[in-house]
Amino acid sequence: MSADAMHWMVQLTATDAPALPAPWLMQLWLSLGWGVVLAAAVAVVGKAWPVRGRMAAAAFVALACWVGGPYAPTHWLGMAFQSPSITSVLLCAVFLYGAFSRSTQRGHPLGAAGSCWQLALALLGVVLGWVLLLDTLAVLPIVVYAWGFSPVATAAAFAVLMVPWLCHRGERAMDATLWVAPLAVLSFAALRLPTGNLWDALLDPWLWVALHVYSIRGLIQVSRRSKA
Amino acid sequence: MNFSSLRLRLLATVLAVGAVLGADLWLRPVTPPPAQAVWPAAPATLQVATLQLAAKGVIPMPPDTEAAHASSLLAMPAGHAAALTVFWFSGERESGPNVQIAASQFNRARQQWAPARFVVNRHTLGLQLGFGVRRLGNPVAWMDGAGRMHLFVVATGLGGWAASRVLHLRQSSAGNGLDALEFEPLRVLPLGWLWNTSHLVRNSPQPLADGGMVLPLYFELGLKYPVAMRFDHRGELLGMTRISQRNFALQPTLLARTATDWVALMRDIRPNGRVIAARTADGGRSWADLPDLELVNPDSAVGGMALAGGQMVLAHNASPGSRAALTLSGSVNGTDWTPIHAMEQGANPDEYSYPAMAWVDGSLWVSYTVDRQRLAWQRFGVKP
Repeated sequence: MSADAMHWMVQLTATDAPALPAPWLMQLWLSLGWGVVLAAAVAVVGKAWPVRGRMAAAAFVALACWVGGPYAPTHWLGMAFQSPSITSVLLCAVFLYGAFSRSTQRGHPLGAAGSCWQLALALLGVVLGWVLLLDTLAVLPIVVYAWGFSPVATAAAFAVLMVPWLCHRGERAMDATLWVAPLAVLSFAALRLPTGNLWDALLDPWLWVALHVYSIRGLIQVSRRSKA
Repeated sequence: MNFSSLRLRLLATVLAVGAVLGADLWLRPVTPPPAQAVWPAAPATLQVATLQLAAKGVIPMPPDTEAAHASSLLAMPAGHAAALTVFWFSGERESGPNVQIAASQFNRARQQWAPARFVVNRHTLGLQLGFGVRRLGNPVAWMDGAGRMHLFVVATGLGGWAASRVLHLRQSSAGNGLDALEFEPLRVLPLGWLWNTSHLVRNSPQPLADGGMVLPLYFELGLKYPVAMRFDHRGELLGMTRISQRNFALQPTLLARTATDWVALMRDIRPNGRVIAARTADGGRSWADLPDLELVNPDSAVGGMALAGGQMVLAHNASPGSRAALTLSGSVNGTDWTPIHAMEQGANPDEYSYPAMAWVDGSLWVSYTVDRQRLAWQRFGVKP
């Protein structure tokens, strides 16, 4: 291998040259991210409420995330759970759009098992979360979390997450939720949010828990369909 | 464009992956060269066995504080009015809600410590960060290439001490005299996927020839393992490595034998523990475990420092099951240690713990906690 090729290989796989987000951008993301997630949560909780009431309540909690100090939900949520992943925020944004759009009264993207690709991505997220959890507990002989600082991880994750689109043969446009994960990687590549580590952008522990529920429901549905 | 053809979609995907990779590489700094350790400017002929006690005393506490712990010493530049800055956490009790990070400086002209003052407060930090900090502890200080101080402090979220995170702060005041000293938070260090939970910092960083440093850290939720993070001369993060595959080692202290050959000595949580050791031969890129040292470790922090010429010093609790004795030992390889001086020799339940070290103006300074209530210091000079 030539010296140039070797140099590029080192650059691509290096975990010791991370680009981290600016502190001001991390603070902005903390408020924006939790604002979107909480608004989606309110929209779920207030499913039976009139649409205007739901919208007002969702807007209220989203705005409350921009208030400083202990009166802001972000003060406590950030203390406990840091910032949400880009994937979580985008999924909640898709849900909010569906919940409040008159033309598309859709369900929660994680509420019911959808296409096989959605289920496959959810299972991939579940597996990734387990690997990262075991890595946190130093059960694995390698440091998987550190790979999230390497350029090749970003590119590889993007390539894998584009597979549903590559294989999509339907006449209709691909489901919006399948774009969420690739879009999260694109956003991460540009903004480095929320921590500068790819895994934190793709998956947070709460999303991982939700993916377990979604995957189990999806697998049960698939099993029932195959029996029928 | 119509992407109905698989070939077209494949081409678009390859181009998009290339664009992602290009954008990612463009935003990153260039991969740094291997880390090269440097040592404090001690005499090249120094033999640590010749170190002798020159002075000792206590560090003044802030008013109305009954607990003090986990000091960190920072050598100040030669022309500064202060020889040393010491940081520690202090308050009504350890892990108490009013614990803050305190600091004092040892004045070169007056040869005494300045009255302590608080320099980091969790409420102010919470407002600056946008999220709350429940408790503060374990400050570790470092000075970057531009002469700005950095503090790495343990900041807990919801949960106890084991639910800690490491918060990186940087000096925001123009001057670094004690009266002017102020800090601003930069970020919680990205150390793990599980909300960064249970990562802590304790010992001083290993300075590098490029002006950067390697900061030793550890994880302690159930399992305990040590980690190292490298920073450049501005204090920007350059990556992380795990120091040991063992899950009962914490609070590593780094000792450089050569520029790239270092050992890490660690606290052992096992009953009848010994000081745990690991070694890197490539400047901290990879580590391998070494056999436990002969030194007894009663589940207590050790604080070490390597000096030029392969000389090393270590302050440690040398008696089993107790922190009542604090010993200064010397070594030339980081694994075989000989006692030099009995720094403290008490009886249970006396506690002399969490030693920190700095080499300043031709002397070795050691600070440590006494009974978790106050801090003491000792200065060792070279025998004439």
